[in-house]
Amino acid sequence: MKVVWYLLTSIMIFCCSTVIAQVNVKGTIFDKATRQKLIGATVSLKDSKALVTKSVTDEDGEFRFNNVLPGKYFLEISSIGFKNYSQNLDVEDKTELRIFLIENAQLLSNVHVFTNINAEEESSSRISEKNANNIINVISARAMERSPDINAANVLQRTSGITLQKNSGADEAYAIIRGLEPRYNNTLINGVKIASPDEKSRFVSLNVVPSDLLQKIEVSKSLLPEMEGDAIGGTVNLVMKDAPDSVLFKAIGSIGYSNIFFDRKYVSFSKKDIEQKSLYERKGNGYTAQPNDFSRSNLDFKNTTAIPTGVLGFTYGRRLLKNKLGFLIADNFQNQYYGTNSAVYQVISGGSAPKLSEAAGRKISTQQLNNGLTLHLDYNINEHNKIILTNVFLYSYLAQSREIIDTAFVGGNGGRTVPGTGPISNDYLSITDHQFIENAKLEGRHIITKHFLFDWAGVFSTASKRSPDRADLKINTKIDTMHTTGDINGPYKFIQTPYYFDNISRIWQHNNDRDYDVLANLTYRSAINSATLELKAGGLYRHKTRYNLQDEYDLKPVANNGNGVKEQFNDINTTQWIVYDTHGTQAFDINNYNLFENITAGYGEAKFSTKRFDLFGGVRIEKTHQGYTLNTFYLTGVNAVTKDYTDLLPSVMFKYKLNNKTNIRLSYFKSISRPNYYELVPATLLSNSTPTAESGNPDLKHSIADNFDIRYELFPGQEEQLFIGGFYKKIKDPIEYGYQGIESFKPLNYGTATVYGGEIVYSKYYGNIGITGNYTYIYSEISSPKFYTDFAAQTTVTRLQKRPLQGQTNSTINVSLLYKNDKRKIFAQLAYEYIGKTLARVYPIYNYDYYQSPQSFLALSAEKQLRNPHFTAFGKFNNLLNTPTENKINNLLVVKDNYKANFSLGLRYSN
Amino acid sequence: MKIKHSFLLTAITLTVFSCTKKDTTTIVTPVIPPSNPIAPGNISGLVKGTLTTGNTYTITSDLTVQLGDTLASQEGVTVIVTNNSQINIMGVLSIIGTKDKPISFNSDSKQPGSWGGFQCDSAQAVTIKWAHIDNTGGADPTGSARKTVFVAAPIKVVIEDCWFTNGQDDLLRMQKGAMISILRNTILSSGSTDGEAINLKTGAVGDVAYNVIYSQAGTGIKLETNDLVPFPQTSVNVYNNTIVSGGWRRGQAEPGRGISVGLNAKGNIYNNILVNDYQGLEIFADADSVNTKYGNNLFYASVDTYVDTTAHPNAAISIRGNFYPNDGIGKPQTTDLISTGIANLNPMFQSFDGTVAAPNGASTTNNFHLQAGSPAFGKGNATYSNDIGAYTSDATKSNQH
Repeated sequence: MKVVWYLLTSIMIFCCSTVIAQVNVKGTIFDKATRQKLIGATVSLKDSKALVTKSVTDEDGEFRFNNVLPGKYFLEISSIGFKNYSQNLDVEDKTELRIFLIENAQLLSNVHVFTNINAEEESSSRISEKNANNIINVISARAMERSPDINAANVLQRTSGITLQKNSGADEAYAIIRGLEPRYNNTLINGVKIASPDEKSRFVSLNVVPSDLLQKIEVSKSLLPEMEGDAIGGTVNLVMKDAPDSVLFKAIGSIGYSNIFFDRKYVSFSKKDIEQKSLYERKGNGYTAQPNDFSRSNLDFKNTTAIPTGVLGFTYGRRLLKNKLGFLIADNFQNQYYGTNSAVYQVISGGSAPKLSEAAGRKISTQQLNNGLTLHLDYNINEHNKIILTNVFLYSYLAQSREIIDTAFVGGNGGRTVPGTGPISNDYLSITDHQFIENAKLEGRHIITKHFLFDWAGVFSTASKRSPDRADLKINTKIDTMHTTGDINGPYKFIQTPYYFDNISRIWQHNNDRDYDVLANLTYRSAINSATLELKAGGLYRHKTRYNLQDEYDLKPVANNGNGVKEQFNDINTTQWIVYDTHGTQAFDINNYNLFENITAGYGEAKFSTKRFDLFGGVRIEKTHQGYTLNTFYLTGVNAVTKDYTDLLPSVMFKYKLNNKTNIRLSYFKSISRPNYYELVPATLLSNSTPTAESGNPDLKHSIADNFDIRYELFPGQEEQLFIGGFYKKIKDPIEYGYQGIESFKPLNYGTATVYGGEIVYSKYYGNIGITGNYTYIYSEISSPKFYTDFAAQTTVTRLQKRPLQGQTNSTINVSLLYKNDKRKIFAQLAYEYIGKTLARVYPIYNYDYYQSPQSFLALSAEKQLRNPHFTAFGKFNNLLNTPTENKINNLLVVKDNYKANFSLGLRYSN
Repeated sequence: MKIKHSFLLTAITLTVFSCTKKDTTTIVTPVIPPSNPIAPGNISGLVKGTLTTGNTYTITSDLTVQLGDTLASQEGVTVIVTNNSQINIMGVLSIIGTKDKPISFNSDSKQPGSWGGFQCDSAQAVTIKWAHIDNTGGADPTGSARKTVFVAAPIKVVIEDCWFTNGQDDLLRMQKGAMISILRNTILSSGSTDGEAINLKTGAVGDVAYNVIYSQAGTGIKLETNDLVPFPQTSVNVYNNTIVSGGWRRGQAEPGRGISVGLNAKGNIYNNILVNDYQGLEIFADADSVNTKYGNNLFYASVDTYVDTTAHPNAAISIRGNFYPNDGIGKPQTTDLISTGIANLNPMFQSFDGTVAAPNGASTTNNFHLQAGSPAFGKGNATYSNDIGAYTSDATKSNQH
């Protein structure tokens, strides 16, 4: 590790500036059996009294102690899964060592009790992938640092089998694993589920997690009984940085810009008058809202010049109290400005092929400020007992303006006669959002006897969102033609009506999600001749509560005194309104609910491991007890619902170790997916403009899947890999939104879905040039009822249609070209990504669906260590091809989002 | 329908005069006591039974009539609604007043938009006859705009001979296959700055006839079918309605129509009088125009242009130019009576002050009966009536108000 090297160098220079001849000690450590270099082995140099210095082997299995005073020393080496090694060492002259460690089958090699391999390096990812009991992909901190990405979401989309579900403002990003929507996956921090800041779903948007805080990301595509059972696509585990073995200080700073703001201004609004609490919260239950209670400045939009994007971060860590106490603190602050320009089209079908009915231009300007703070403390009580405290605090602030200018071609307010005419409605929205995610974990690991390991954890996880005064202004106008001569086929001019104020809605919303978890595991491990047997049992209990509170006020135009016609709209500061619902909606808002969910889980698993194969099997039982309450003013409405179910989830894994570099894996596991919380709440949202009401569904069942996997793994060298895998999943009761009858749109279970596909992952270096990439092919099938109109018979019926799962992409390709020059300390990466045709959304008419067109993205990142070796300069350039996102219904273009390229330049410091 | 009325009276005396006055026959039927009479006074919560004649009831919070239950009202009942309450009907609503003793539903404050109306989304049957229903609208506790009578079920809906004044938003909204008979009602000054008088969607079928609609914010009678489910189709006979001074309060960007047919709906639109409406009869491009028939409608404007003083600069709007709006595909029919000037084809109302745009809740003294010699007489499509408009010479069919 270079960091250590620099540190030692400086210590030596500062502390030992006496002029005694100093020498360098250098060595390489190997696995005796495989002759592979060992990364992350801890090497300690002691004299007769105490520790002199300590190092960890780097990606080439090397360690070095520079400027050592000649003398007699004692060298100790430890590495997970290997017997400790020690020898006397006489340092006289420059020394170079080659040391071979012997594997120790009896040690608890999969449980990282005391030793750390340097998990931040890419090569250690390969080791994790190779040694894991299940099928995983690991992305190291080093790979993230060097990539063009700054948050966990960007990083994940380059991972095999993963695409991202983004909303149009691009301010939310959820992982789709193997074609399965976010609902089928879960997100963990340090192995335990995070509370969700979303008021309705279970999701955590991954773009609020700065990648600089992460030690690695583990994506598990098959589940062990010891893992939480609610992931059908897979699990994304964000592993936070851990205390280093020696003093670590890193800092990062960068500055950047989004090219879209070279083309247009950033649309901002004032936040100074935004009331953080709703009228009800400020003035109490009986208060009657007055027009002046609502601010205007957050609907007064101004074109401004976007401020450059900035990132600042640092990491500091060390061990204290004779290495007993490990400590790490890291903070990362990102302030980004980005935008989208879109063309959005509404369609009407009339029962047959959809036709365009409205065209809108949409401009979104977003400021997103993320701050992530992690704190890690660990204390080695003695050789057998360790306690770790980790706290992760993520804060995200979002300020967004949206402008939508929509022209109708047909519809209830007339339409377009000639191009340039039609009813026009403008919609202006200002949003400010504060999101908090906090995850505190206290855990202990105890080696009770030679054979028993006990570990436990208590976790408190909370997440909340506060959206004060989400303000939405709608105004409208109409453009018509007027014939300038009497001839109706003759020349005409355009005439436009004034703008009229239509409606303003103001929504105050906040929600909170709170989890208390306790978990404990007991592991027994013993050798039987050359084989090992590992037995593990444990359990988890989680109590979750959450609420969502929303209070909405609608402001309607004042009618002219004389003739009752609504006043025209000039600007927000002169507009008069009346408050339509003067008491707000908080008492009966359909978005409000309180929920609890208790999960009780237990498992037992066994692993039998020989030199040639590992056989792993077990079963997990998960009991779900959940319920919610809501307020309804309908006497006969639903007030509360509780649900109970228990799932038995077996898991069997077989790993055949063809040789030391090759595995073949087979796996089967059963897993579930629980419906999103609000999907169960039967509140009905009646629409004024359409006869369709959207509602939740308390009868919704959880999905249960059988999952089969096969993977061939080859690890030719350090950072290299070749994986070829296939999978098959059968999902009972998959959940998608659909129509039930004409007038109800709700989440429903749709029989059985199947998903299968293949993945290839490849990384290889040819001298300084490396290539890394993956290819994923996915096929999925689900049948859901769609409306089919027979015009001859004059009937509309529902007919089952086969189609892919919503969100599924057929082919995904990631290819990165890497250039690594260790001498000149240059690293460059050109990353190409292809996302194939994706079913973006289901269209309710038979044979028609929204598909996202295939996309190609290109990104570039490069770094160079400067003359002062503590500093590295880097640049990140994203979306170089200005790739838009396009959605089409069959061949009809309905959405085109343009984001443009963005770039950032920065400096990293490390001691 | 007349026969049914008589039957429901507690006692009916039918006297048959012969021209020679030889015989006099008096038929007396027994007094039928109401089933489950509801005691006068405050009512709220779950109710069923009959509001009995001559009594006053005060609704203090939302009323709900459960599936299988009936709420009935005899003639001459007065209902005062407080606390912005609404009436939820999941069972049967049967409100039957008489010409002499109509029923009244009004709020205590008598301000437009001060109570919640009849929310009959999933009712079993709805009948409202000879009732005054005033000052409905306003937001429900979830913030949604409330219609005056809302039905979303394939049930029989009979709304006849009623008066609706000063509602907000949509007044009568019928959808999801409702089988409607909306006859001889008077709808006045409703919709604040938005809302249709009679809004029919998703497969509503039946008749809308002999209604008077005056000064509605949006469209008088609007027909649409669901975009995704074009069948069953909204299919309505719209005839002999008199629709005056409607469609102005939404402003020029969203003019209201007297009658509109859109989104795969079809209708027979005959014998209607359309006076001073922002836009007259509109057949939208997405309507089932092949199966929509129209004609014998009378279009008139009492002014050459209307000057909209809310617009800056003020805009002069030609009402005559909008009888068949240019963004629709409807075309003047040879049977239509289309006025070309103030003196041409004036329908000759008994009294009309020439109002164009007027505020929500404004009172009116106009009388839309026709004077003798009106061009509307005898020019109707005889399938419906020989005359045009809500007041015809055939007294058995004509609006009774």
